[in-house]
Amino acid sequence: MPNIQLLNPQSHAGLRLRTTEEAASHFVQIVVTEFAAAAACCPILFSKEPATGGFYAGAIFGFKAGENLLGTAEERGGFKPLTLQREGFFLSDRHIAIDRDHARFSEQEGELLFDESAEPGTTLRGIQRVLGDLHSGLEQTKTFIAALANLKLIEPIDISLRFDDGERLTLQGLYTVSLDRLRDLDDASALGLFRAGHLQFAYTMTASLKQIGRLAHIRNRRGRKSSDQK
Amino acid sequence: MFDGQEDVSRRQVDILFPLPSHSVMVQPVKNIVIVGGGTAGWLTAGVIAAKHRGRIGNGFSVTLVESPTTPIIGVGEGTWPTLRSTLARIGVSETDFFRHCDVAFKQGARFKGWTTGAADDYYYHPLMLPQSFGQINLVPHWIAREDGRSFCDAVCPQGRLCDDGLAPKTIATAEFEAVANYSYHLDAAKFAPFLQAHCCDKLGVRHVLADVRKVNVADNGDIRSLDTPQAGEIEGDLFVDCTGFKALLIGETLGVPFKDCSDVLFCDRALAVQVPYASDAVPIACQTISTAQSSGWIWDIGLPTRRGVGHVYSSRHISDDDAERELRAYIGGAGKDLPVRKLPIRSGYRETFWKRNCVAVGLAAGFLEPLEASAIVLVELSAKLVAEQMPACREVMDLIAARFNATTHYRWGRIIDFLKLHYVLTKREDSAFWKDNVLPETIPDRLKDLLLLWSHQSPWFHDEFDRVEEVFPAASYQYVLYGMGFRTQLEPSALAGDAKNAERAMRENVTQTERLRAALPRHRDLIRKIVEHGMQAV
Repeated sequence: MPNIQLLNPQSHAGLRLRTTEEAASHFVQIVVTEFAAAAACCPILFSKEPATGGFYAGAIFGFKAGENLLGTAEERGGFKPLTLQREGFFLSDRHIAIDRDHARFSEQEGELLFDESAEPGTTLRGIQRVLGDLHSGLEQTKTFIAALANLKLIEPIDISLRFDDGERLTLQGLYTVSLDRLRDLDDASALGLFRAGHLQFAYTMTASLKQIGRLAHIRNRRGRKSSDQK
Repeated sequence: MFDGQEDVSRRQVDILFPLPSHSVMVQPVKNIVIVGGGTAGWLTAGVIAAKHRGRIGNGFSVTLVESPTTPIIGVGEGTWPTLRSTLARIGVSETDFFRHCDVAFKQGARFKGWTTGAADDYYYHPLMLPQSFGQINLVPHWIAREDGRSFCDAVCPQGRLCDDGLAPKTIATAEFEAVANYSYHLDAAKFAPFLQAHCCDKLGVRHVLADVRKVNVADNGDIRSLDTPQAGEIEGDLFVDCTGFKALLIGETLGVPFKDCSDVLFCDRALAVQVPYASDAVPIACQTISTAQSSGWIWDIGLPTRRGVGHVYSSRHISDDDAERELRAYIGGAGKDLPVRKLPIRSGYRETFWKRNCVAVGLAAGFLEPLEASAIVLVELSAKLVAEQMPACREVMDLIAARFNATTHYRWGRIIDFLKLHYVLTKREDSAFWKDNVLPETIPDRLKDLLLLWSHQSPWFHDEFDRVEEVFPAASYQYVLYGMGFRTQLEPSALAGDAKNAERAMRENVTQTERLRAALPRHRDLIRKIVEHGMQAV
């Protein structure tokens, strides 16, 4: 159970933010404003929220739960999804809340959240920016997905992979933008997508599918290395 | 490709198939007039209009004439999984369907008290096929084991899912797609207006609110037009009679006789009642519950908003008062003051379904007790057949009518056989109704022959049910036969070759059952989520 508290300089005057390893995640939720950076290193696909069945966008870091083939943000060319940057922090209305029990928080090490004058320090100001970007990004992403769904442009994609060590993986429950249906759009709908700024995101998603092969290649190489060591 | 190639081939076609010289006389079929605005009428309108979408507005029209005064009967609340593909084809969203028609999922039927009448006497007729049904017939292997597990539980997960009150899919499953096969329970009084809105707004069906005062018949016996005080004369090339029991066109106008089958299926009355839930936390049954009574049976259908309960009985075997007493006893204390609606039913069907330029669909074509929810599926199948076989011109209509009649007769015959099967397998002797039901003279010959055959081999794929779009597949016969204690004589040595595959299929069934029980949400919870969040189209 998280220990959620509203962040304030009185209760959290001595609270510091540590540098921790990011949680090993194979599918990380991202927002449309991150698509270009994400597509440079990994595939972007839709999945469904188990609770509502609604679509959300995510970046694939690995092919199995807990598998991260892309390493740290540095190894990903600096790409660190907002949802990972904000770990431990939440927006509650317009206020910032924290999960006090999250490993990022410490009284001993790391950067102070508030400075001597009880104002947010550089680190916390960065977090504020992240939460703001995430909030508006999620809204934009919702609009983008609704526009695609409305034009029936989302289609399921089955990804089957076979690795050199004989392992086979089939990824299910993933969706992408249908290029065929995109091409078949009438002019008015296509122009509407373009003017709303959605079209570039749609093409970024489909282009990012090329990264699946690259990720599989990384996984293959890693598998070969570990079997060589045996 | 070189110049002239196309011309050469076209000339060859002309030589092979010269155009008939009388082609100038062709009378095209362009205006379809459906009479009756119930479930049958609007489903038929939707299926035809969706199939011929490209032609509507280009000289082709679908008109539905509905009386502003005649009430809709609307008892049919159970459906078959075919309705999923029918609705998808018409182009409605499954989410909208749930939001507007008080829809619940149906995964089959639970028959209580049909075999012995004892307290623990029940079996399932689920909608999922037995495991590996396409590769192997598990019946003989199940009989050979006789380990106390019911046939349904040995070969398919769905009985357990129903016992647990689980839904057949999750909120993340796309519209019309299933994790476990399903159909619907729905409020028929809301279904017709829902279809109407879609047909008129999206499919270009013309809706005329008018009473048919007179049906005008041409010299050749075809129906020419309808006289209405509100909309004048309505002409048509093909008329679809969806006027319900009245059968205004096929019966009253064209005089096609009704073939009664109460000598096989005895029930001729129904008492229906709507039972509210004690609270909105009460689980919704995900199967139709059919409970045998002294002289008939009671249906119990769970909608999100209420239960629909009704007693279907034979007036030759029980009085209306006693039938109502049995119904109220079934409902219990909560039903003491609920109003009961009495519906006369007449089991049977038209000797001809499509005569001249008129085809009957729905109750106008016939009626059977709702034991296996055959009413709406028959409407779908008939509408689909009309839509797909739509005669291009009057000259070919009689040929298509003959085909339609042959197919539809076959279907009604098979449904009657299948319904009767539920009665002939009973071991009950506690009332005249059950004893009379097993008298040989009440059993159709074809069913008698099949029962003899099935005592030596079990029904499977490629035997008796070989038609495309068979209403009830061999699997349905398996579930009822072996659910009701029927046993096929076995030659154990004949099983050896397949034993390993059977073993594997039944093991897979255990695994699949556990997987689904862990993954599927509770029925009422899923319906609530569908109404709140909606399902995705993919």
